[in-house]
Amino acid sequence: MSDPSRDEERELVERAQRDPRLFGALYDRHFQQIYRFVYSRVREQTAAEDVTSEVFMKALKAMPRYQDTGRPFAAWLYQIAVNAIADRYRTLRPTQTLDDFHDLSVAGPALEDLAAHRDEVRRIWALVEALPHQQRTALLLKFQEDMKIEDIAVAMGKSPGAVKLLIHRGVTRLRDEASALRPVE
Amino acid sequence: MNAYHDPELDDVLQDADLRRVASLLGTARTPEPPLDEAFRTGLRRQLMQEAWSMAEGRRSWFRRAFAPPGIAWAGAVAGVLLIAAVAVWTSTQQNGTLGPPVVASNIDGKNNVALAQPILVSFNQPMDHQSTEAAVQITPATSVVYAWDAKSVTLQVTPVSGNLAPNTQYQVTIGPGAKTAGDQKLASPQTITFVTQPPAASPQPSPTPRPTPANPLGEKQIASMSGASSLALQWSADSQSVYFVDGKGALQVVSIKNGTATVVAPSGASAPSISPAGDRLAYILSGKIEILTFASGKTDEIAPAAPPTLVGWAGARVVWGQSDGIYEQTGGGPTQLAPLPTTGAVTLISIAPDGGHAIYGQSGSLFILDVSSGKSTSVGAAHDTFAGWSPDATQLMYASADHLVIADLQGATQSTLPVAQASWSSGDAILLGGDTTVYEVRPDGSNLTRVSNGTYRSPVWAPDGSSFAFVRGDSLWVATAPALPPEPTIVDEATTVVKKFMDARLGDKPVDAAAYLDDNGKKAYAPGKLNLVITGDPHFTRYYLLTEEAVGSQPDTVRFVVRLVLTHGKKDVSGVEETLTVVRDSSSKQFLVDQATAGAQRDLGKGPEVVSVDVTASTIQVTFDSDLDPATVNGGVSVVDAKGNPLDAAVTYSNKMVTISGLDLKAGARYRLVVMSSVRDVQGQKVQAEYDLDLLGPVANRHAERKSGSSASASPTPVASPSAASS
Repeated sequence: MSDPSRDEERELVERAQRDPRLFGALYDRHFQQIYRFVYSRVREQTAAEDVTSEVFMKALKAMPRYQDTGRPFAAWLYQIAVNAIADRYRTLRPTQTLDDFHDLSVAGPALEDLAAHRDEVRRIWALVEALPHQQRTALLLKFQEDMKIEDIAVAMGKSPGAVKLLIHRGVTRLRDEASALRPVE
Repeated sequence: MNAYHDPELDDVLQDADLRRVASLLGTARTPEPPLDEAFRTGLRRQLMQEAWSMAEGRRSWFRRAFAPPGIAWAGAVAGVLLIAAVAVWTSTQQNGTLGPPVVASNIDGKNNVALAQPILVSFNQPMDHQSTEAAVQITPATSVVYAWDAKSVTLQVTPVSGNLAPNTQYQVTIGPGAKTAGDQKLASPQTITFVTQPPAASPQPSPTPRPTPANPLGEKQIASMSGASSLALQWSADSQSVYFVDGKGALQVVSIKNGTATVVAPSGASAPSISPAGDRLAYILSGKIEILTFASGKTDEIAPAAPPTLVGWAGARVVWGQSDGIYEQTGGGPTQLAPLPTTGAVTLISIAPDGGHAIYGQSGSLFILDVSSGKSTSVGAAHDTFAGWSPDATQLMYASADHLVIADLQGATQSTLPVAQASWSSGDAILLGGDTTVYEVRPDGSNLTRVSNGTYRSPVWAPDGSSFAFVRGDSLWVATAPALPPEPTIVDEATTVVKKFMDARLGDKPVDAAAYLDDNGKKAYAPGKLNLVITGDPHFTRYYLLTEEAVGSQPDTVRFVVRLVLTHGKKDVSGVEETLTVVRDSSSKQFLVDQATAGAQRDLGKGPEVVSVDVTASTIQVTFDSDLDPATVNGGVSVVDAKGNPLDAAVTYSNKMVTISGLDLKAGARYRLVVMSSVRDVQGQKVQAEYDLDLLGPVANRHAERKSGSSASASPTPVASPSAASS
């Protein structure tokens, strides 16, 4: 059975390929996630705006060449974004305050546990910042953007196995470097 | 917490510690990043522009190749190849054995040829100057001078008037009389054909360019605020000094050039307000109103019954607010113009620049008080704050939690901007200041431009619309903001639509063309009426706008006369004029073709033709394709009114252009430009038949209206709570 939202997206993509003036609907649909991802990598609003502009402009121009491989259209946009960020990565050293993170699991634990858990979350994401950038990209796409491994593979131009390996190495490195992390529960 | 399970990662995250780390990663989210809504909408606009140009460029290769630009390029390439071939031929042949001369030009076949350039004609061998020049024929009739290169293989033909005529197909023929240096004749006449571009647009008044040194805004600290919590500041009329009240209540005037400060009142002053004429300053001091006349240095005083809280001006009259209403001074003393409500906590916040309205707060809500009627209108929602007036006092700005709202005097939202401390300039640019950035934007939300990063609190434009004052730290600063691009005029906007309409017709796209027609327009192009698509031979190859004029403002209306040129072979043989009336649609605010009429077909190439008409209320400039015999212009070109009576005007002629000046055309009135058949070109050829062009008296071609109802839907970039700094 086909996925209605995928069918709808496929139709939007096909229409935009026939007439680029219909690209606006795809932009509206994907702007927020691409901007969020780009911002999470470059950590500076102006740079995030520049890269996001580049991503959508490139996507618009490349629409005639886009081929539906069965993966979500967003995976292709992420791929352009990953490449655009890589181009800038040499000059942009991301910085981040630890206060930037929202913990989704805040409801429930006692206050002291909550504080400890939040602290742990902040520390581990601070360590993510220091990971090699491919590992970091893979972790962001998996854990922040909730993408499927196959879609991450498209976005990063790698095989699913290679993406899993990146995630494994990243998580392993985090475990090793955060050996002081204590379990909350 | 560490019961992480993701089937996709089960095989690589088997270790419990690894799953716990993954669990931590999966449960934390970065907050939504800071997003400038104006960026989102601006990028969308940019993408759509790009998409439109991509769509335009997607015509088939056949069409592209044979569309005017395609032909131009093909012609250019062919021309260059021909010239190259000529050059090779020349270099490889010996004198006396060169064969018949060959003619080429780099502009042969080109469209859109620039007006200010000579016509270069190349030969494959040295030519005899005298016979070749004598053999040159140019249509339309053009007085030219000739020059040759050192090898006598390139002839430069330059119009005496300096420029080629606009919108004109030229044919330069080298007749068989032309001889080579070796006395060999041209085998047959050879013709170079090209079309010139439209006349240059009338220069728009553009802001004076400003230098961009290391401190691009020329920021200058000019005074200490001495702890003032809000800015009560007024610019002098010449934009050279500012009046402001510091934290100690001292009213000072500071020169922005050298920072020299002069104390007007040492303490207890508030609410300074410069008169619209800039000759007087009113302010409140110790419960009274002081009015300083700059020329005499004399201070007058008004003593209201209750302490005044605000002072403003209604033209040359001082008006002020006190707890119970708005007042002015008359012969009988203070007179109430409008009362303020007596219930709730009422605070008068600002008096409009023309004194016609005031803003007050009552129990957390904002109200606009119409001073003449005494009626109040609610504006915005509870807890919104007033942010300033438009310079003409017809609109105001207030800040909601998310937006800066532009509203009319009935409180209706006109547009929304990013929330910030705002000031509206005489040139319709709004400064949006705050703690981290300053932006400029048009009132309709367009042209949002980051001017600079840094602290720019409580910005206040100077009357010149270029300098502005602002607060940084505890100091008053001044700076100069770069000008925003000029707003398109209504004629510019309408021209864009007409060109798209005509391009669609030229490209045989009736459906696309019909998109630019309103209901009336569709009737004009209904079956049996005008044709959207023109077929047959001679065929429709190009069009140009003969004239355009703004003829109405409610709704915006622009009238165009478009000449459709029909070509047989390579030669323009006839033209049809369509008069299009283009009206701004009341709902979409877009211009659409509302009326269309066509004139009779007119043969081209049979005498001087009008190729451009520029109409203002006082002057009509008529450009011809040919150099005219000046003696035939006076009496031959005239303007008549609706009854056929000639208007009294001066008619002069220079460089293909007849200027009819000293007119006083009434907006909307009917006139007719008449070119009699007695007008002749320099070769004695007459205008083939009297040419009449109906005109309407133009209205001012102002900048486009602020688009009511449009929303730039921007949200907070420079976040700051506005203050009534510009009141």
